[in-house]
Amino acid sequence: MLSWLAETLAVLAKEWRCELRTRYALSTVGLFALSTLFMVSLSLGPMGSSSELRPVLPVFLWVILLFAASAGLPRAFVHEEESGTADPLRLSATPSAVFCGKALYNLSLLLLLEAFITPFFIGMLALPIASPVNFAIALLAGGIGLAVGSTLIAAMVAQAQVRGPLFAVLAFPILLPLLKIVVDASLGAVLGSPVDMALALAFLYDSMVTVASLMLFPVVWNP
Amino acid sequence: MKNILRWSLWLWISGVIVAALLWAPLAQGFSGLYGDAPQSSRIVFFHVPLAVASFFAFMTAAVWSILYLIKRHPKQDFHAHAAIEVGLVFCVLATVTGAVWSKVQWGKYWNWDPRQLSIAIALLFYGAYLSARGAIEDPEVRARISAAYSALGIVVAPFLFFIMPRMASFSLHPKPGGAEMDRAIGTVVVAAIAGFTALFYWMQSLRARMLALEASDLEPEDELAAP
Amino acid sequence: MSPIHEQGERFVQPTVPTYNPSVSDDTPRHLLDFRGIYRAFGRLKVLRNVNGQARDGELLLITGANGSGKSTLLRCLAGLMRPQKGRITCVQNGKDLRLEARRRQVGFLSPDVAFYSELSTLENLELFAKLRGVEPARGGQLLDRLGLPRNRRAGALSSGMRQRLRWAFALLHEPKILLLDEPLQNLDAPGRRDVCELLENHLTDGLAIVANPDPMDLPRVDHHVELAS
Repeated sequence: MLSWLAETLAVLAKEWRCELRTRYALSTVGLFALSTLFMVSLSLGPMGSSSELRPVLPVFLWVILLFAASAGLPRAFVHEEESGTADPLRLSATPSAVFCGKALYNLSLLLLLEAFITPFFIGMLALPIASPVNFAIALLAGGIGLAVGSTLIAAMVAQAQVRGPLFAVLAFPILLPLLKIVVDASLGAVLGSPVDMALALAFLYDSMVTVASLMLFPVVWNP
Repeated sequence: MKNILRWSLWLWISGVIVAALLWAPLAQGFSGLYGDAPQSSRIVFFHVPLAVASFFAFMTAAVWSILYLIKRHPKQDFHAHAAIEVGLVFCVLATVTGAVWSKVQWGKYWNWDPRQLSIAIALLFYGAYLSARGAIEDPEVRARISAAYSALGIVVAPFLFFIMPRMASFSLHPKPGGAEMDRAIGTVVVAAIAGFTALFYWMQSLRARMLALEASDLEPEDELAAP
Repeated sequence: MSPIHEQGERFVQPTVPTYNPSVSDDTPRHLLDFRGIYRAFGRLKVLRNVNGQARDGELLLITGANGSGKSTLLRCLAGLMRPQKGRITCVQNGKDLRLEARRRQVGFLSPDVAFYSELSTLENLELFAKLRGVEPARGGQLLDRLGLPRNRRAGALSSGMRQRLRWAFALLHEPKILLLDEPLQNLDAPGRRDVCELLENHLTDGLAIVANPDPMDLPRVDHHVELAS
């Protein structure tokens, strides 16, 4: 157990060390999200801050996050396979430790992205939030499911020869139900209506995806 | 023996079709938006069985996939693949019949009723399964990855089929377990479900045999298919 | 066991004595034995019924033209690929290793193995040492032994230095079973001398399976399997 934890942390540390030396994911994912946000805000124009449109706005935030995630998160495994480092990793580490390390890295990346983009989003669209705490919990719940689900799908996509749009094709059906739930939750948080049920469902979804991913990852990762 | 089974399936389905169109009474309150299409309710005898059979299809695919991941025999992969392919056809037909009925009954083809949401995601999911298969060349890797993906469907399925429909504030569909219908209508629906499900399993086993034959190396031209 | 050439197969070299666990009197401490390995990619059959064996102190050399399936065979033995038919028996220190254990216990070297180009040579080895539960200092020792700089980014290594780093990776956890695919590729004369010395050391106790297109200068060759293309 202790050695498993050490392996997980070693994978996580390796990811961040490589990332901080190239800043590939941070810059591309951040800028991708920012440009999508500009596009949303620009095309909505003054309409964006009208009160009738308020119930629609959380949808945009989640669409921005979903697309930014699908641009950045698959790299976790695709890059390993492309550069030939997947085999040494396979030969050295326990599969579940690889998965947890990568999923934690993706989660930290996604939470950083959320922390970066949400203030911009709220500011640019002048969106008042009735219950900021619930909004933050919804972001966390969505982030966990998005990160864990994307990590497993990324491991699958990395084994394919044709990778381009395959990640989005495979990930969206898995993530759509979660997205529907967290959009409901963040909408409730904006309007100040109760969101306990939606949040509970979101965490249920997160835990089911996590358990399924841990069970399926070894067969996806290893022949 | 096989012939007898096949002929009884044909007879059964013919009987169901005749009963659905001629014998079963019309459902009350389903005669169209303006009450001008009383016969439209008969689509229930096709729409519901198709939807149920496609649900069975995807559960079958998941079971074969999990079996494959444990036993790793190519046969199990062919069965899972076949179940998805045939199930997708059933699923598309269920969607189309549902949309047509929705148009007649409520005036819109599509309105994101929770069941429509589930079937739309199911269509995406199994379309994604097939495109993943197309993207992987090595049969072993292809079988393994697609089996894992279809097994992942088991996580999503309960949300789609049970939790989200109950959560929804409105639905055009009866809540699970909440439907009440005429005895004769119920009998024909159940008979149709049995018939269409048997039809599915027959088509699925044929398709699995086809896939196995396609993959077998009867052809001597080894080098022609080099990756 | 039926002689395989009678079935008109493309190859299979019967120089290896048949291993039969029930008959052999002295149980080997380490053993890698493969029987009837078959692997096809779609309709292209790469390996058809390949057999071979090595015990402690022995070296099995696998030769064959490009595309004859040497790398595929070694990947199957390392557990990086699943053969469609055949049996692989792997014993290390008298213990039978199943697929998962085998993958993590063997030492594997192949031209396909690459390292994290953003990390230095030492950081790379320390990472793999941590993942394998090996003393991290072992990475530095191997780098010194193989004459590699410690702080050079792996992405900035020459091809010969990369090959030395692959050797360091393969030997990191002191495996008793070494699988070496083209082990001398890109090495200069001192490099070849260095790794041959390491291999000789390894063979005092462990076993090695070496794949190369042609027979080559090795400390010893006990068995030889030639794959036909």
